[in-house]
Amino acid sequence: MVEVKLEVFRGADHEGKPHYEKFTLDLPETTPILTALLKVRTDIDPSLTMRYSCRQAICGSCAMKVNGKSRLVCSTLVGPEIKTYGKIRIDPPGNMPILRDLVTDFSPFWERYLKVDPYLLEDPEHPNPKGQVTKMSPEQVDQFKETPRCIACGACYSGCPSVGEDPEYLGPMALAKAYRFVVDPRDHAYHRRLLKLQDKGLWLCLRCSLCIEACPKEVRPADRITDLKRLANQEIGPKESGSRHSAMFVTNIEDGGLLNEFKLARQSLGFFGIFGQIGKGFAMMRHGKSFMAHPIIHDLDSLRAIYVELNKKEDLKHRERPAGKGVKGEAPT
Amino acid sequence: MNHSHDVLVVGAGLAGQRAALEALKAGADVGVISKLHPMRSHSVSAQGGINAALDPTDSVKEHVFDTIKGSDYLADQDGVEILCKEAGPAVIEMENFGTIFNRSADGSLDRRAFGGAAKARTIYAADRTGLALLQALYEELTREKRIKVYEEWDALELVVREKKVQGLIGFERKTGKIEGFPAKAVIIATGPAGRIYGKTTNSHSSSGDGCAIAYRAGAYLKDMEFVQFHPTALLHTCILMTEAARGEGGILKNNKGERFMERYAPNYKDLASRDVVSRSMLTEIKEGRGFPDGSIHLELMHLGREKVETKLEEIVQIARTFAGIDPVTEPIPVLPAQHYIMGGVSTDNKTATNIAGLYSAGEAACVSVHGANRLGANSLLDTIVFGKIAGAQSGEYAKKSTASDLNQADVDLITKRVHTLWDRKEGESIVQIRNEMQSTMDDRVGPFRMPDDLLGALARITELKGRFKNCFVKDKSTVYNMNLIDAIELGNMLDLAEVIIVGAIARTESRGAHVRMDYPNRDDEKWLKHTLALSTKTGPSLSYQPVTITEYPPKARSY
Repeated sequence: MVEVKLEVFRGADHEGKPHYEKFTLDLPETTPILTALLKVRTDIDPSLTMRYSCRQAICGSCAMKVNGKSRLVCSTLVGPEIKTYGKIRIDPPGNMPILRDLVTDFSPFWERYLKVDPYLLEDPEHPNPKGQVTKMSPEQVDQFKETPRCIACGACYSGCPSVGEDPEYLGPMALAKAYRFVVDPRDHAYHRRLLKLQDKGLWLCLRCSLCIEACPKEVRPADRITDLKRLANQEIGPKESGSRHSAMFVTNIEDGGLLNEFKLARQSLGFFGIFGQIGKGFAMMRHGKSFMAHPIIHDLDSLRAIYVELNKKEDLKHRERPAGKGVKGEAPT
Repeated sequence: MNHSHDVLVVGAGLAGQRAALEALKAGADVGVISKLHPMRSHSVSAQGGINAALDPTDSVKEHVFDTIKGSDYLADQDGVEILCKEAGPAVIEMENFGTIFNRSADGSLDRRAFGGAAKARTIYAADRTGLALLQALYEELTREKRIKVYEEWDALELVVREKKVQGLIGFERKTGKIEGFPAKAVIIATGPAGRIYGKTTNSHSSSGDGCAIAYRAGAYLKDMEFVQFHPTALLHTCILMTEAARGEGGILKNNKGERFMERYAPNYKDLASRDVVSRSMLTEIKEGRGFPDGSIHLELMHLGREKVETKLEEIVQIARTFAGIDPVTEPIPVLPAQHYIMGGVSTDNKTATNIAGLYSAGEAACVSVHGANRLGANSLLDTIVFGKIAGAQSGEYAKKSTASDLNQADVDLITKRVHTLWDRKEGESIVQIRNEMQSTMDDRVGPFRMPDDLLGALARITELKGRFKNCFVKDKSTVYNMNLIDAIELGNMLDLAEVIIVGAIARTESRGAHVRMDYPNRDDEKWLKHTLALSTKTGPSLSYQPVTITEYPPKARSY
């Protein structure tokens, strides 16, 4: 048994001022936090408001913040939290308006989901055969990677710093969902999907990997976003500033042996784009992050040998189109 | 009124979403009202798979026979024929919608073995088939922007006049508003009611709301006494450990290390039907061969890490997280727990009820295709086959039906009733009534039923229903008031608990999941018939309806 000190966010409806309410319970260390919260509801205060249903990490109802981290409370146990933090602070999920206590309005999350056209798009001239199964090898099923596990709980979205910063950013769940259609041999909008994603915030992912940590189903959204970036660069080429920045980063070092920030900014943003970055450029020079006169690297051949080796590596070969993609016509816009 | 539709679907799980899409196809203006976001529906908890005789070595006929045998001959055989005949097209359609199923080496849909089935005919997506199917249906639902979905609205009561449905009264969780939903046709697709029991695999939200409101509005409930106890629920938490675990080769063992199912079901062994396996496990425990923690062991260790971690990844995660057990190297302690109610809103083979315009599909309904015991992987099939039929039928019905006459007086009546409950200053504890209902059902209305227990349970539920009339909702907020929802769900569950018990007291035989210790044998002469329950002021009034037999006269059942 362990003394579980809960600090639960309350309020935000028309009634109370937001505050943390403290509850102390004695529970076995292996108790899920959901069970602790339900105990508060049944034994202490039935007005504590939250969403929950399956209690087995499959319905995705109970995403909340546990000591600041986005988690499903049904599959997070009290013991380790108490051991690390001495208490369990429960907040509603982030990046969305609070309705009351631990219940939020998920509309911004689902609005982003809808933006990726989350359904199969078929080429009307070459539709998938109806009334029979589209053959798909186990290897093609493997292309989906972990995305079929997604339960749309919003834990990744709740903890994503880019979602909070940029309303244009689709967020980890919607992008992982988009990946699921991009690699599906039954979907015929490969090029169009990647084009739209590249324009609509794919490159706003900071690669902080908080979504990987938050995801209770190990969907690894950030990895799928990286996959999408690779596929988009390969299919469309470095087109807008984000993808150009990424592509130029690689060639920039290959060219000179060291990152040339001035050249990189010009390559990513275009000649006129860099004027907007002048202030930042001076600040970088002041902090020794960029140089007016670029140092010369002498042993460029060794560096290029590294590039040759890297290009042989298996995980970089993902740049190829998924099997069966781009063969048929595209679904119309 | 704002929320007026030709067809209103109650519940947004697999049956509800499938029905909504089909009703739209039939030309109806469709609304869906659900107390949960569609993706939170209990359908996602279905793990093992969905049956369809797609392989050339299998046949619809064999699927039909297995289902009828599994039902202990209580299923209507013409209904089962529809279920199994439509299975192939329905599963293929779900694949066309985008469901990501496991594949075999030749690119076709992979199959696994399941309980009570002579052939391996269970199509699957790892052990999250319900989630995979619901993802695909929700994708179709969001593509189809003409369907209006009312998320997080509870259905409080149906409005029925002169045996014709007029719509329903809904409660919005976000605002506490009570409003009318006029509709020409209503489809009840609200899924399970397992939370009547304490020891259940079902979600917290599984309170049988749709069944209860249909019953109170004058619809017949059929065969409610048939409650399935799944053999392998994780000890303590009762979380489902899919039958696919045994389909993939897992075995049950007692404390002597014996594979005891060989004694009870020499041919099918661990893959006998669920009623048989659950009873065998409980018999082992009663005779002293359970483990010290009261469990039976489910062993997967011999299957190898790779198979267990890929084909059964959900239950591996569940066992690791919720029990601290690694099924790759350790046995899983399991016990039977309430899992499914074969009964439900009584429908014909076209999903119509005794009320004009009222249809039902999925676990909330009873066609009956599962009879006295449902086969594993037939419930997902039921949802999409009969969900589709309900959508088409209700759409056609709405075309020739007159407009709903649901009016403000109907809304006011229910609003007043809710406020009588909501505004009460003190009263009985909701939690206490719920706990007592659940322990009564666990202890006295389980897999083995004694007449005295059943009578005692009925007296108890009657008493609880009395106390419920005076229960106290402490929370007075209009914003997302879960305390009020607790009370509404409890009222629904108490009504259904009473029907289950009354049906079980009357049925003096043992058939499928209903076992009477005082009547240990099946009695086809007297009891080859469906129980129908009608709500009256003095409780459920029972009548009976013959079972449809086509090609398979009842015979002795062994596995």
